[in-house]
This record gives sequence, C-alpha cells and structure tokens, in this order.
Amino acid sequence: MKLIASSYINSRGAYLNGEKLFDTSAVQEDYLKALYGYLELDYPKFHKMDHLSKLSILAEQLLHHYIDKDAEPENKLQLIFANSSSSQLTDLKFQDSYTNLGNPSPSLFVYTLPNILTGELCIRHKWYGENIFFILEKFDEDFFLNQIKFSFARENRLCLCGWVESDKNGNEECFLYLVDNTNEATTQLSLNNTLRLYRNE
Amino acid sequence: MSDLKEELKAQIISQLNLEDLTPADIQNDAPLFGDEGLGLDSIDALEFIVLLDSNYGIKITDAAETKMIFYSIDTLSEFIAKNRA
Repeated sequence: MKLIASSYINSRGAYLNGEKLFDTSAVQEDYLKALYGYLELDYPKFHKMDHLSKLSILAEQLLHHYIDKDAEPENKLQLIFANSSSSQLTDLKFQDSYTNLGNPSPSLFVYTLPNILTGELCIRHKWYGENIFFILEKFDEDFFLNQIKFSFARENRLCLCGWVESDKNGNEECFLYLVDNTNEATTQLSLNNTLRLYRNE
Repeated sequence: MSDLKEELKAQIISQLNLEDLTPADIQNDAPLFGDEGLGLDSIDALEFIVLLDSNYGIKITDAAETKMIFYSIDTLSEFIAKNRA
C-alpha cells in the first residue's frame, strides 16, 4: 500500500501534500467560503452544509485528481473518517434552535451526526463503496493503518482517510490522506509519516 | 402581493443558505423543487413548513398539500395571502 496524497485545512491555510496553496488566515470573510471560491467549486448544496461537511468537501477537492477513477465504478474506494467531538457544534446549534429560537431547524437536524459528511462526499462524487466513522480521543495513525489493512483485506483498492474536527470552541481542521492498494506512488510520500503530515511538520 | 413575493425570496435565500442566488434569480412562476427549478430538496420543504409557521403563523396540517403550495413563489405567496394570521 502507498500513501498517494494528503490535504489539510484549518483557519490558517489549505495544504496539498504539505504545500500551502491558500492562505486562509488572510481572508476577512468566512475562510471556508473563500476557499470554496478559490477552488472554483460549483456546488450550491455546499452552502447548506455544516462545517464538518464543508471542511471535508473542500479538503477532498484539493486532492481529488489523485483518486484513481478506475476504483470508483467497482466500488473499491472506502472512506475511513474520525474525529473527537462528533457533531458537537451542530448539536448545540440545533439545541439552540428549539430551546431559544422557538423552532427546531430541519436543516440543522440532518447534520447532528458526524458521519453525514461521508454521505455528502459519496453523494457529490457518486461513490457507492463502504464508509465508516469513528470517534477517537485524538488522531491515531496506527488505528487508521489497521483500518486500512482491514479494508484492503476486503479487496478495496483505495482508502480515503480523514480526521475532521469542528468543535464548540472554534477549533477546526480537516486532514485527509489517500492510500492506494495497487498503484505505485505518484508522490514520494510514505505511509508511516501520516502523523507528521497531520502535524504539518 | 409583489412585496410578499420579494419578501419570500429574501427569506428563502437566507433560511436555506442559497448564497449563490439573489432574489432576482428566482422567477415567480419557476418550480422551486426538482432539477428544473432551484433544486430544493425534502429538507428544504421542512424548512418551508417551519418558515410558514414562524413568520406567518400558518401551520401546514395536510402534507399532501405542500406539493402544490410549494411549487413556486406564485403559489406560495397566494397561499400565504389567503391563510396568514
């Protein structure tokens, strides 16, 4: 297996394979909206999404061209995602919508599960493979590696792994990496340095 | 009635986070749902029901009615004008 590519987004920047492509700290408006414009996305549904889904859509777009198109029709692409705060931010907004604002918001309610973001990615790209979402204390590259091995043992060809966080304290980040079971590397990245990539070292 | 239609367009854009649109982009007789219109979905329909209740005091009691009521800005504004509290 080989790490093909990685992307990372937080309030300071958007990175592909460790290289900063967009300085999100320089924008005055919502940095996710600014990045949406920078990436020239045309996907109006994006604006309705919670921050977990927005971060995932944008980070996936950064590395999308690395995804082996041949793996998709065979449903051999698996999504393996995790975070530590689940959908906490949306949960609190939804609670506020019915306790303080008087009406529970349906559009907030649909995002009161973190794994909705994997559904949003699959809907956008018409992926029909497996997906799974874990709640972990922190990013754990060994845990992900075991899940990747488990996935490839079931004959999946690609794993899109993600750590996506958006909590009530405003901490936000999204780290995605793509692992291939068959292709030779298209970059010099190796799989045993995902923790360093995540830390942007 | 035209004021109500413009008001509805602004509320829909705000409530449904249709940030790429302006009120001028929404035609009064164009379908709001489905591929031919604004592309709104079932969750947006639920938001419409909440919007009618909170902004106009109208409670939808028969879900079967919504397909006709929510068809366009014209049908929606006509329904509100007849039923607002």
